[in-house]
Amino acid sequence: MEYVDSLTGFRLDGRRPNDIRQIRAEIGVVAKADGSALFEMGNTKVIAAVYRPTEVQNKGQQINNQALVRCEYSMANFSTRDLQEDQRGTEISLVICQTMEACILVHLMPCSQIDIFVQVLQADGETRSACINAATLTLADACFPMRDIVTSCSAGYLSSTPLLHLNYVEDSARGPDVTVGILAKMDKVTLLQMGSKLPIDIFENVMQLAIEGCKAIAQYIREVLLENTKLLESRKGL
Amino acid sequence: MAAATSTPFGGGDTGGGGLAAGEMEVEAYRRLFPLAFYERHLRDSVRPDARPLHRARDTSIALGPVAFSDGSALVKIGDTTMLAAIKLEVMTPATDAPDEGSLAIEFYMPPICSPTVRPGRPAEVAPVISKQLSDTIISSQMINLKELSLVSGKASWMAYLDIYCLNADGALFDAALLSAIAAFSHLQIPLVSLNDDGKVITVSEELLEGKPSVELVNKEKRKLSLQRIPFSLTCLLHGKYILADPTAEEESVMETFVTVVLDSLGQLVSIYKPGGAVLAHRSTVKECIRLTKQRIDELKNILAESASAMEVA
Repeated sequence: MEYVDSLTGFRLDGRRPNDIRQIRAEIGVVAKADGSALFEMGNTKVIAAVYRPTEVQNKGQQINNQALVRCEYSMANFSTRDLQEDQRGTEISLVICQTMEACILVHLMPCSQIDIFVQVLQADGETRSACINAATLTLADACFPMRDIVTSCSAGYLSSTPLLHLNYVEDSARGPDVTVGILAKMDKVTLLQMGSKLPIDIFENVMQLAIEGCKAIAQYIREVLLENTKLLESRKGL
Repeated sequence: MAAATSTPFGGGDTGGGGLAAGEMEVEAYRRLFPLAFYERHLRDSVRPDARPLHRARDTSIALGPVAFSDGSALVKIGDTTMLAAIKLEVMTPATDAPDEGSLAIEFYMPPICSPTVRPGRPAEVAPVISKQLSDTIISSQMINLKELSLVSGKASWMAYLDIYCLNADGALFDAALLSAIAAFSHLQIPLVSLNDDGKVITVSEELLEGKPSVELVNKEKRKLSLQRIPFSLTCLLHGKYILADPTAEEESVMETFVTVVLDSLGQLVSIYKPGGAVLAHRSTVKECIRLTKQRIDELKNILAESASAMEVA
């Protein structure tokens, strides 16, 4: 199957290999939560919520000099093209959890537990990236102290071309898929996952592409947060 | 804030034991003496959000938010938000009902919806509402299961309706039921045809254009004809007061509630009053039914508006 048309250079969804997907984010969508966000990357829609730090449920896991970060990831039954059971991904939960742990200043909240909940409403590839981006926005909305914004996106290599932001069809092609999560301003990589084989020099290109995609998302997230702050300012009459 | 003089407050006594509202911040009073706070409002026939006792919150319906499903709806009643989506799957009908399809209805409350729901502590009320919804929709006979049949005895549709609560702020059953019927009204049954093995397969609309020879099994029957649509209203009972469409805070303070379900023809489908400290006299029940009737007119309009909004888009 041709993932990149040889004549026009367009992909299956009409994008060019380096084009990002349409990104949209909204903060404060769950009124009762201390922080919440809705994040869309193309057709992938994810909603995340976080509540203020609480007492650690399982005392055995309590860490005395920092907070315990827990994440629960689940996909709605209708989120994918085929029907499936209400899925709870343990692996993805762990990935999101450890990625966010890198950016929250956990030593400021010892002996407590931070619960991040992520619900996938529509899955069209890159669900874990969308979840991480939603989680970042959510934590920012809840005013958690953070080192930096974490953003994530994926890139692949099909039809001999590095492609940015894989959708479901491209993801199902079982080609190489590199997911990167970076701390935007500090320019550090916190998450890097890849499956399938890839020559090392091509890998560097693909990873670089993904990092640029992450930076574009970070730019957008900053704008959204700034807008939100201006709105709060005007509401308070400042 | 003046220091409170140490007057003991009688438990359950109204008026907060004689402390005037000006001597304590309103928010503190609201948290410390919620019942007294509410009763003060009820005496003036109003609620903290300035609603009269019998008015429901602003309701909105958006059809089709979930692109991958066959029918979906996002409903908001005040802050309570429900997302319902239907996916259809072909299956073999039961031998004792070869001309009928079937429904599977599930209601979920993921932890994002409320701070009281934790991963190890699922919401107790979720399976209750799930069962209630299932019973209500089936007993109201809104859906004629025969319309979900494809080939008698061989193939029929199984409709999986999943409703996710995205924000729990009271009146969960009302919002969930509304989202379910909105999703069914939006449902578009996919085109199917029989392939060479005699199996039923779905056909995509775009692929049809080049192949007039593909025989469609259900060309005409794309939408369900919903006959007697059930609508509901939950009311809280407190003393002699009836509060329509409660918020989560109101529900936690005044625990007795009645849910009345009427169908679009004005007939009673169900009444649900699961115990509670307040006993309901006949007049109270009649009043709840009357309020539900009023609410149905509002809901019918909102549903019709959302359907026409879809057509314009």
